[in-house]
Amino acid sequence: MLLTDSEIGYFRQLAGGAVITMELAVSGYLLALASGTVVGLLTLSRNRLIQAVWRVYASIIMGVPSLLVIFLFYYGGSSMLEGVIDITPFAAGLSALVVVYTVYVAELVRGAIRNVPRGQFEASAALAIRPMSAWWHVIMPQAVRLALAGLITVWMVVLKDTALVSLAGLNDLVAHAKTAAGASKEPFIFFVTAALFFVVFSAATLRVSARLERRFGRGLAVVKA
Amino acid sequence: MLFDPALAWAILPRMLYGMLNTVTITALVLVLGLAVSLPITLARMSPRPMFNLPAAAFVMFFRGTPALILLYLVYYGLAQLPSVHDGPLWLIFANAYACAVIGLTLNHASYLVEILRGGLDAVPAGLTEASAALGISPRQTFTWIRFPLAMRYALKAYQNEVLMFTKGTAIVGVITVVDLTAAANEVFERTYDPVTPMLGAAVLYWVLVNLMRIRFEALDRSLNRHLIADERRLRKPVVGASQGALARWTSLPAGPTEHAGTEQAR
Repeated sequence: MLLTDSEIGYFRQLAGGAVITMELAVSGYLLALASGTVVGLLTLSRNRLIQAVWRVYASIIMGVPSLLVIFLFYYGGSSMLEGVIDITPFAAGLSALVVVYTVYVAELVRGAIRNVPRGQFEASAALAIRPMSAWWHVIMPQAVRLALAGLITVWMVVLKDTALVSLAGLNDLVAHAKTAAGASKEPFIFFVTAALFFVVFSAATLRVSARLERRFGRGLAVVKA
Repeated sequence: MLFDPALAWAILPRMLYGMLNTVTITALVLVLGLAVSLPITLARMSPRPMFNLPAAAFVMFFRGTPALILLYLVYYGLAQLPSVHDGPLWLIFANAYACAVIGLTLNHASYLVEILRGGLDAVPAGLTEASAALGISPRQTFTWIRFPLAMRYALKAYQNEVLMFTKGTAIVGVITVVDLTAAANEVFERTYDPVTPMLGAAVLYWVLVNLMRIRFEALDRSLNRHLIADERRLRKPVVGASQGALARWTSLPAGPTEHAGTEQAR
């Protein structure tokens, strides 16, 4: 199939949108990973207040669609901070994704550390390994192994959730695909292109994750049931 | 602008109307997703490439694509194809509500395939071998031994996926279906108050999601009522109920891994 000049122009816009999509996904994921790890470690505390606040907060975030959080940040933020700062769709989308996925990352980190056998902590103490070294060299490598599959899933979910930010007016891949579809009267090809972009990145993620799992799982025997 | 209780009360009927659509779409996708995913799971697990390659491609495409693009594709994209636009299928594809259900079902079913596969894989091989040794036919082994156990193993992952896609229905507004989010948006556009309708919608979503979670937990208890007290204690997650939400949601069988993890932690 030959492409007309205008179609090539649309594809060029799509490519520009894809860059914005990737910027949003990567920065959102890395920020969520960082803050989620910190929050996950904080929630290991036995402090009643921390536990109560965390329960309520996690329940609220996990019970509400991320699209609604994005809308709330964008429209609510714009109306509340009117005249103070200008809230861009990118900033609103990024902060909404970070707020939502921090909770999921924190749950994963917390669950992984809780599932590291208690004997490992005790052995580190018995061997007089300093707490910081014990965390870094003994607990973390094992916790990463337990959390890895979930963290990779979060990445895929964040990547796909960036599509939602187009609904708050961000000119990302999906928004450009929609514009091109409407203007060219050829919706099928542009939406399939956008879909394939995400499919290719998911497939690439699976390859990388298989390698990561081998790397972090080294020294672990595989037992067949 | 802050939450305005009077406005919230006034828009409640409209929001509940939207919520009704959210609930019916969720229910339809739930049923259709199970029906679609079962044959695809069997094809995916078949040793013959003729069956498992198309099934793998189906899962790859519909799991990898954001549901939002799938809805655009089904509602706007398919209308462009002459065979759809001029054929009898147009009765379905001209309807936004039907398109929303179809798009979400394809997405949900592709996740379900992986979850069911994970559950079936988690059934210990010894059980299949034992039933073969007892002369039970492969079909009966599947219906009465592997499938019921797989359901039990996969329930937690299934629960997480169902709750995820229930929240995911919030996008159907983009193809003109008035669901809870779209109703909230409507109110926002009329009143210029974004906070009240959207917080109101958030509360309603939270109630819906948690009601479903409670139902799932009751189902989990009743499926596992045969477990003796000691095993039941072992099954209890170490951390809170929402722990590892995504880890399970991926494709990991919940049953056996949970036992192992919990035992280690003790």
